[in-house]
Amino acid sequence: MIRSLFHIFHDSLNSFEGQAHSEKVLMLIRKHPFFILLKIALVLLACLVPIIVGIYFWNYLGEQGWRAIFLFASSLWYLIFWLSIFYTLMIYTLNTIIVTDQRIIENQQKGFFNRKVSELYSQRIQDVTAHTKGLIETFLSFGNVVVQTAASEREFCFSQIPHPEIVKDVIMKIVSAKHSGVKL
Amino acid sequence: MPLLEIIFNILAALALFIYWVVTFIIFYHLTRFGIGTQPKKFAAVFLLGSVVLTSVVIIFFINSDISSLIKI
Repeated sequence: MIRSLFHIFHDSLNSFEGQAHSEKVLMLIRKHPFFILLKIALVLLACLVPIIVGIYFWNYLGEQGWRAIFLFASSLWYLIFWLSIFYTLMIYTLNTIIVTDQRIIENQQKGFFNRKVSELYSQRIQDVTAHTKGLIETFLSFGNVVVQTAASEREFCFSQIPHPEIVKDVIMKIVSAKHSGVKL
Repeated sequence: MPLLEIIFNILAALALFIYWVVTFIIFYHLTRFGIGTQPKKFAAVFLLGSVVLTSVVIIFFINSDISSLIKI
């Protein structure tokens, strides 16, 4: 039982709520980790504040008898930053694009209890564009993918996703398979 | 126990309570809506870290003496 419990950390079919019985997940895409790592790096910089204050004012805090209070305040500071790091990671992990052999599903998590799910069936896709712009995007290989549907419907834009060319190819494969009747 | 100490204790307890409510919400979102293995890993690390950090906060809270600040 314990062994099966740990399976959730390394084995996954990337199944999702509302998945059809015959539906196969081809790709699970999240934004490129570059921006999330940048945000976390800034938070980690703020984590240095109690350490710097401690180094400079340790003797003074000792003289005043405030060391214990300082340690308590520092631990609270780290607790808040722990929360903010994982809030950022939560938003990052829950913003996903699922490409299945039948449709594309975009999950957008904008905050606590603020969730938007959009889906697009492959037969409605008309045109897919991969767009990489700028130095960072080119070197780190991420960019935008725009999926154009029938004229009256809106277009789907997936921004800052890794390897946009591969994603575009997979989507185009699904569309051509759908049109030719071949099962992926 | 002086009034300020009581207020300090209540505020500390309230802060920890709010922390654990937010922790539960993040944990719930990661495990309920997460797709794939990554959110589950994050949820496990987050919960474990929260338990450790809360224990550290409680230990420092017990050791701290608010009266040293009140003297000012």
